[in-house]
Amino acid sequence: MAVGILLVTHLGIGTALSAVAGRLLGPLPLAVEAFEIAYDADPDAVLPAASAALRRVDGGDGVLVLTDVYGATPANVAARLAHLGTPVRRVSALSLPMLLRVLNYPELPLDELPAVAAAGARNGVVHDDA
Amino acid sequence: MIERELTVANRLGLHARATARLVQLLSGYDVNATLTAKGREVNAKSIMGVMLLAAGTGTAVTLRVDGTDEAAAADAVCALFERRFDEDS
Repeated sequence: MAVGILLVTHLGIGTALSAVAGRLLGPLPLAVEAFEIAYDADPDAVLPAASAALRRVDGGDGVLVLTDVYGATPANVAARLAHLGTPVRRVSALSLPMLLRVLNYPELPLDELPAVAAAGARNGVVHDDA
Repeated sequence: MIERELTVANRLGLHARATARLVQLLSGYDVNATLTAKGREVNAKSIMGVMLLAAGTGTAVTLRVDGTDEAAAADAVCALFERRFDEDS
């Protein structure tokens, strides 16, 4: 399996998260690329570049697209990426625990990774009052 | 099933990078593995699981490994702890 991971986010977020994951894990087991969208970007204008990023990370088994805020422009661009022919699954609320957990299950097929990602984000929330 | 008593000896404790090394090491073995510390047992093959131990330096942890590779896995984890995750020179 060679699922790709595309982080479609606001400025500064995707690149930073993938850099931290790289520092923690060393060489990443899956192709990861960040595609950041400027605050005033026109979704139509960035779609070709986003599509090119999607194709770069696709190893033939589809792409897990992780976005930061559901309903924001990056997530809306991600939604359009799902209609370009490449198998795509999307999960929002990207966080470092989510990304690390996905990268800990590199052997799973695309259809199983959304649940892995969601559990990573949920389990990362700890009420730290101890 | 093999059980080993270990002590977190590196200065930073089971922080993110050390945890990632442990989880990556164990992912190469066909075992179920848990770590127990401070009364909490977690999956030792899960990064966030191990991070939830919040095990600082000096913490005693119990490793349990169960599976076909259990002897090799236990030795490898013990060696990693003894090497302080290759962090303190």
